[in-house]
Amino acid sequence: MARSFFSRKKKNKQSNQDTQQPKFSAKLKKSLDDNLENMKTMLGNPGDLVVRELMIGGLETRAAIMYINGLTDKNLINNNILKTIQLNLKQFESNVLDKIFEEVIAITDTKKANSMDEVSLALLNGGTAFYIDGMETVLLMGTSGGETRSIEEPDSETLIRGPRDGFVESIETNLALIRRDIKDPNLRFKQHEVGRRSKQKLVVSYVEGIVNPEIVEEIERRLKTIDVDIASDSAYVEQWIEDSFLSIFPQFLNTERPDKVSAVLLQGKVAILVEGTPFVLLAPISLGEALFSMEDYNQRWLSATLLRTLRYFSAFIAIFLPAIYIALVSYHPGMLPSTLVFSIAASREGVPFPAAIEAILMAVTFEILHEAGIRLPKVIGQTIGIVGGLVIGEAAVSAGIVSTLMVIVTALTAIATFSVPSYSVAITFRMLRFAFMIAASILGLYGIVLIYIMVNIHLVNLKSIGVPYVAPFAPIFVTDWKDLIFRAPVTKLTQRPAFLKTTDDQSKETKSN
Amino acid sequence: MSTFKYGDEKIKSRDIMIAVPSMVIAIGIIVFPRELADKTIAADGWVSIVIGGGIAILLVWLVAKLAANFPNQSFLSYASYLVTKPVAIVLTFMFAIQGIIVSAFEVRAISDISHQYLFDQTPQEVVSLCFLLVVVYAVSGSRAGLFRLNAMFLPIIFAATILLIFFSLGFIHTEHLLPVFKTDARGYLQGTLASTTSFTGIGILFFYISLVKKPEKAPAMAAFGMSWAVGLYILIYVTCIVVFGETATANIRFPLIELAKTVEVPGGFFERIESLFFIIWIMAIFNTAAMAFDVSVIALNSIFSKVVKIKIILVLSPFIYFIASLPNDFLDIGKVGDFASYYGWGLTGMVALVFWIIVKVKGVKQSGK
Repeated sequence: MARSFFSRKKKNKQSNQDTQQPKFSAKLKKSLDDNLENMKTMLGNPGDLVVRELMIGGLETRAAIMYINGLTDKNLINNNILKTIQLNLKQFESNVLDKIFEEVIAITDTKKANSMDEVSLALLNGGTAFYIDGMETVLLMGTSGGETRSIEEPDSETLIRGPRDGFVESIETNLALIRRDIKDPNLRFKQHEVGRRSKQKLVVSYVEGIVNPEIVEEIERRLKTIDVDIASDSAYVEQWIEDSFLSIFPQFLNTERPDKVSAVLLQGKVAILVEGTPFVLLAPISLGEALFSMEDYNQRWLSATLLRTLRYFSAFIAIFLPAIYIALVSYHPGMLPSTLVFSIAASREGVPFPAAIEAILMAVTFEILHEAGIRLPKVIGQTIGIVGGLVIGEAAVSAGIVSTLMVIVTALTAIATFSVPSYSVAITFRMLRFAFMIAASILGLYGIVLIYIMVNIHLVNLKSIGVPYVAPFAPIFVTDWKDLIFRAPVTKLTQRPAFLKTTDDQSKETKSN
Repeated sequence: MSTFKYGDEKIKSRDIMIAVPSMVIAIGIIVFPRELADKTIAADGWVSIVIGGGIAILLVWLVAKLAANFPNQSFLSYASYLVTKPVAIVLTFMFAIQGIIVSAFEVRAISDISHQYLFDQTPQEVVSLCFLLVVVYAVSGSRAGLFRLNAMFLPIIFAATILLIFFSLGFIHTEHLLPVFKTDARGYLQGTLASTTSFTGIGILFFYISLVKKPEKAPAMAAFGMSWAVGLYILIYVTCIVVFGETATANIRFPLIELAKTVEVPGGFFERIESLFFIIWIMAIFNTAAMAFDVSVIALNSIFSKVVKIKIILVLSPFIYFIASLPNDFLDIGKVGDFASYYGWGLTGMVALVFWIIVKVKGVKQSGK
């Protein structure tokens, strides 16, 4: 409800903005000098704007090309525009621009324009404008290029086995990477624009005929409410269109891997690509997918099932272990075997704090180390390892501030947290861990179970693009359980996820057909 | 705001199948083996459970079938059709009261049991207040969410129980099963009464069936779900008897939890798991309390249709807390529990019977709302 209220308010604001726009859409003049001067003024005569005046070969007419340095492919401009125009020896009687458009320019993506607004937008996108003296129309040529990062293996999701390519900052490259995987004419790339000033391209990608059309409609409806100056990452888009901004659970997955995107598109989901970031959003998702990795499908099913079960187990440790330690040590020591209780008591001897303070102290220390390790340059990163692991771990124990068992618990929790494939989900787990620790220090195991129930209540009410977040568990879709905690053999994974209510539900031709 | 079709409040027959055992399994089963062992000899109590369970399943089917005759109509609307509007309002009120008493009983029983097994120093008021707040949080969410919670917790509860029974295999004394069929008719009768009344909460079906999109299958599903609960009762009862023997079971306050205290989990990591087991059982109790509360909210909301749901919740919760804090000791709590189950059976059984007769005479109004 709150979201719909906000979005409505923003929508009104946006329409107000739209009414102010027309002052830019001034028409072009006849005189070349006027046109060039106007455009320079509009862009503030920047240092990277290149204006090259020239004569058209056989015509003796003044003309000019204009582009922004660094956004364009210079070879293309030199060879396919400048040279061809200058070397042109043909004579045109009428309509010079049309003839040049048809016969001279050797660039496929060329169109005509006659407003300042169109020209400036094209220039800022890396296009080249071609002016002729005495014409109110210009040619805009798609010459975007310039330096981009090459395709590399993504650092955020490494696999042992699987494709090595990753998305880059250029959306055209990213789209091509998806196209290369899915050579289906039904693959759709619906283009939107995001960022009032950045004018970034945003592409909603899905496979028509698989995806549930209502999901696409809902996503597009939400995308229209976005009103930001710049979306420096797809995270901006994610935060604008997510179902509940109060939830600690991410309602979109992000990935840098084209193989993951194409696999997910073929399951009937939607991918959102934003220009300028390698991170692609995937929706709708369910809780189970937070612990999936592409590796699961690239290994044989038994290994994959074991690995996935291991990940569920480590997620459990990452969330519950410190809380259980607190609850058992301070409230229910009777549950543990007496020998273990004695050794815990022995190791806690001399520790002045209650178990809860001890655990929270260590957990906070670890979080600081974790955060510092991410922000530091890789070279200094090792120092953090030494300072954190050796100095704090060893020294805290010998100084009698924490017990050795607590150090083990913290270390185990830390390692378990790192085995969660998605960073945004791992952050959620870290937050949950603290909630459980606080609950455990107030009410012991009872507190843990109450928080657990509350998290469940939250989860069953949470949705990702209108699809229940805990979908294959509740509401139950038994067929989806084949790829949940276990990963059935690929020969058995013939159905698309039922909880997405896809248009066609079989990913392969089966015998029943 | 256009929402995806998942977002509506409609549920499936399968959700009813899960909701019935979720509602029935709660505090009752923790103390129930004591009452039954008191009245029957050796393991003869299972006969009583089978008969009592049969009656309960029959009632579940009757109620569900009755409600399914009026698809997508609230209890108030079809009750008004069958027995004039004023009577319908009184009945709805009585169901609301039942929900309040049941949830208050669960809230209080939780604090009482945790006082014994989890912590003896924490004030019971705090324990029950925390629990009630979580229940309030659940009820203020979507109703479909409540059914999803059932689906999430019920498997955990069943798994925990089956594991517990599995671990207690090492402690069974088969001689406790003997002698067979020595109970007299009076004992069976009393046992049947005890087991029948321990299946509380069937009345929720009057209200929840109306949320089912296609309720044709709902009666069979509900009866099937009830049979799970009956099966679980029999398993637990027989296990208690073979482990403790009839006399010991009759004298243990919470036989099911004591069972968890007795068993040893291999691996030596946990020495006593009764706290752990009770913690898991809290989920079952939570489901019951939340649904009972929710039914009260539905009932009152159907009478006061202009009041927002959250207001009803906020008005009811102090009531529930107040009723929960009334009993002085566990004997009083037991009396509240007995009252809740007799009241529930009386109300549900009576309404079901009377409505059935009227439906047979008057016929079903086909037009929906």
